[in-house]
Amino acid sequence: MRQALVAITVAIAAVPMLLAVAGLPRPGDAQAPVHTHVAARYVAEGARETGAENLVTGVLLNYRALDTFGEVMIIFTALAAVMAVLSSAAPRRPEDDAPGIASAIPISPVVAFIIRLTAPFIAVFGAFVILKGHVSPGGGFQGGVILGALLMLLSLVLGRGLERPLLPVPLARWLQAAGPLAFAAVGMLGLALTGALLGYPAGPDQQLLRELMVIVLELGIGIGGAAIILGLFLEMRGD
Amino acid sequence: MSQAFDLVMLALLIAMALAVARSKDLVAAAIIFSGYSLIMCLLWQHRGAPDVAMTEAAIGAGVTTILVLLAIGRTRRREK
Amino acid sequence: MAGLWGNIDYAAFVVLFCIGLYIIIAKQNLIKKLLGLNIMETAVFAFIVTSGMVDGGTAPIVGAGATGPFASPLPHALILTGIVVAVSITALALSLIIEIYRQCGTIEADELKGAE
Repeated sequence: MRQALVAITVAIAAVPMLLAVAGLPRPGDAQAPVHTHVAARYVAEGARETGAENLVTGVLLNYRALDTFGEVMIIFTALAAVMAVLSSAAPRRPEDDAPGIASAIPISPVVAFIIRLTAPFIAVFGAFVILKGHVSPGGGFQGGVILGALLMLLSLVLGRGLERPLLPVPLARWLQAAGPLAFAAVGMLGLALTGALLGYPAGPDQQLLRELMVIVLELGIGIGGAAIILGLFLEMRGD
Repeated sequence: MSQAFDLVMLALLIAMALAVARSKDLVAAAIIFSGYSLIMCLLWQHRGAPDVAMTEAAIGAGVTTILVLLAIGRTRRREK
Repeated sequence: MAGLWGNIDYAAFVVLFCIGLYIIIAKQNLIKKLLGLNIMETAVFAFIVTSGMVDGGTAPIVGAGATGPFASPLPHALILTGIVVAVSITALALSLIIEIYRQCGTIEADELKGAE
């Protein structure tokens, strides 16, 4: 009864939205306002002004770099908040697992072998996506999530407590802060060079410096994203 | 031809969202949500957005599904 | 002004948004509500990405030999930030659900309302 009432209310709420959507220009129309105001200039001048041929990376890391600064702060704060909420929970399992045995989840030997076989190739692909993010589809966060997913798979295969010696906790904390730190460093550099935070030097002979700043930001976002995703996984698993 | 592809993808998305709503087993709902994320990734690749498609595939079908499954493992599996 | 059949993509995303809204309001389990929130979020992302496409357009990568009309890069940058915010919200909400289960023993909203 209650669910039927909610369904009717939601259906009534959908009618004004459908009417509003019917009045929009057709998706794919080249004369729609989304293509004729700011985006036309970004498409025409983007590669020359930002040093990135992938226009999405150019918009994210040059034209709208302040928004991306906020985004890395958001995911870093989410990790800090998850650690704060779950820190009062008692550890789930006693640390008496034999090393090399994945406890509580029976990982079949076929799965473990396949993960160990393909892990180097996935790592190389993740690093490739991060570093080529400014000339081909990809970028900092895409490569960072690929590396983070690889680290999650490896920690399933290695068993509990074995990822700690590979990535000790103080190093892991610094890597998780790599995103905001990279943005702060490049921002201060931009402040020193142009007088505006995250400002890029605009000159035709400083193309190399612009590309270098974009690559440093991409590396920071990528490594920070991978470490944060692994940190979220380890916190929620019960460590 | 591409119009038919779009219509089939959209119908599949709506069907999967309804399946997530109706399923009482939370693990099944999480896996169907992972499939929904993948179909959304294909739709965006078809619209000329490869960056967004890569991010949605890695995050929606990877990270979000794994975190939801971890949370289900520490709470209950079936919805009342 | 294309009418509802010309904007069938937008109409489908409005329907998905309303299904997500229904899941949040009508279902009692907290994890199911969180899945409904994710469905709403991806429906909005799909709406904005679709508004940036062009007929016969390609990905906005101006390399050597890239021709043709390009899809607008602004909605893509907006949605990348949006996806990161969505995963942050999901992670924090799941950790709160785990803590609620540890403290109260249940994650159904009507039982939680009766317990306090």
